[in-house]
Amino acid sequence: MKKKVIGLIDGQSGNIGSITKAIKDIIKGRPYQLKIIKSHFNYSSFDKIILPGQGAYATLMSNLKRFKIIKPLKKYLENNSSYLGICVGMQILSNQGYEDKITKGLGIINGDIKKFRNKKLIIPHMGWNTINLNKVDTIITNSFDKRDFYFVHSYIFQNIKKSDVLAFTLYGQKFPSIVKKGNIYGVQFHPEKSHKHGLNLIKNYILKS
Amino acid sequence: MLKTRIIPCLDVIKNKVVKGVNFRNIRVMGNAVEMAKYYSLSGADELCMLDINASYQKRKTFIKTVESIAKVINIPLTVGGGVSDLSDITDLLNAGADKVSINSAAVKNPKLIRQASLRHGSQCIVVAIDGKRHKDKMRVVIKGGREITKNELISWAKKVQSLGAGEILMTSMDTDGVQNGFDSNMLKKVTSNVNIPVIASGGVGSLEHFYLGHLTRSTGLLAASVFHSRKYKIKTVKKYLINKGVPVRL
Repeated sequence: MKKKVIGLIDGQSGNIGSITKAIKDIIKGRPYQLKIIKSHFNYSSFDKIILPGQGAYATLMSNLKRFKIIKPLKKYLENNSSYLGICVGMQILSNQGYEDKITKGLGIINGDIKKFRNKKLIIPHMGWNTINLNKVDTIITNSFDKRDFYFVHSYIFQNIKKSDVLAFTLYGQKFPSIVKKGNIYGVQFHPEKSHKHGLNLIKNYILKS
Repeated sequence: MLKTRIIPCLDVIKNKVVKGVNFRNIRVMGNAVEMAKYYSLSGADELCMLDINASYQKRKTFIKTVESIAKVINIPLTVGGGVSDLSDITDLLNAGADKVSINSAAVKNPKLIRQASLRHGSQCIVVAIDGKRHKDKMRVVIKGGREITKNELISWAKKVQSLGAGEILMTSMDTDGVQNGFDSNMLKKVTSNVNIPVIASGGVGSLEHFYLGHLTRSTGLLAASVFHSRKYKIKTVKKYLINKGVPVRL
C-alpha cells in the first residue's frame, strides 16, 4: 500500500520539535510518512501539509519566500489540498497582516490579521482558553467543543466571513480560533502544546481527512 | 475565558530537581524528567525549569535534560538560569524550550531583550525579575538577592516590556522561600504598570496563597515546594480555585 505523505514546513518560525514528535507518534505503525519541507517542493507529491508558526506574520512570509516555499505552497492551497496551519501558519492564509507593517498574505481565506481591539487587554493573549464550535465536521468533532487549548498571540483574524469560522474564542472580544475553507484548516492555538485535546486534534487531522 | 495558569517550577542541577536556599542545604527532590512528566500528566498548565547552577561543565547535562523533558511533555516549557547571550537562547529553543527566561544578563545588557525578541519573537522571551525592598524602594536584585542593582523595580518592568519581553516572571526576594504567600503588594505594582502577562513567583505555602496571587492580576502562578513536597496536587489547587470563582483549566 502506498504511504500517504505528510509535509511539515519548517519556516524557521519557532521550533518544530513538539509538532514533529506529535506527528511521528500518531503515524507510528500506520501507512504514512513524514517529510520536512525546508525549500522548494513538488506540491503534487504531498497528501497533507502542516505549517506551524510563531512570531511575526511578516517574518514567516519573508522566510517562505526566501526558502522558495511560497509558490508551491500557494499552488497546493489553490488546489484545495489538505492543509493545517497553526498560529501564524493559519494567519498567513489571510489577505494581509498588519503586524509591524502591512504584509500581503496567501489570500486563501478572505480577511485581515489585526491586533486585538481592546487596549486594556494583557497582550499577548497567553495561556489556556476555551474554543466554542460554530459547527462540527469530521476533524473538528463535538468532543472539542468548550475545551481549553494553549494560545500565544497578539493578532487575530478579522473581517472574515462567518462561514469560514469553525470555532471562536473570547478574549476581550470574539475572535476566530479555528478557520476552515474546503480542505484547508487553520487553528490560532497550538495543538502541539495543548495536551490531550491538542494531540487528538492533530490525530483527527492526519487520520480522518 | 482565559484561564489562570498553574506553573510548577523545577530548580535543576544537571538532571536532578533540587531544593535549597541560596545554594545552601541543597536537597535532591527527584529526577527532573520524571517529575516533569508527572506534572504534565497531572494538570500543570505550563512548566518552568531553571538551571540553578549554570556552570560550564554542568550545562551540557542540563541541556540534555531540557531535550528529554521536551520529549515527554505536551504543555509549554519555559527554561532559564544562566542565560547570558543570544547563543544560549538559541541553544535552549533548539533543545525544545518554548520560552527562555533571561535574568541577570538582561540587567547587565538590556539590549539582549530586544535582540532576542527580534530574532525569536516576543512570545518566547520571558524576563525574570527579582525584586526586593531596599531603603523604602523596590529595587531589582541579582545573584539570588545578594546584589542590589540601581534599577528601580517598576521602571525596569516597564523597560523590559518596551524592549520586547513577552512576559515577566516576577519573584519577590522578600517572600521567596518563606511560604507566607506571594508578595501581593509588589505584584500589584508590577501588573498595574505593564500590560504583558506576569507570572507571580515566590512564597506559596497554602491554597489561599494561590487565590491571593490571582487577585494581583498575575495570569500565571508559580510554585515549587508545595508541589515537590506533595503537600498539594495540582488538581487540589485547581479545584480550590474553581470554588473561589477563578477560571482554571481542569
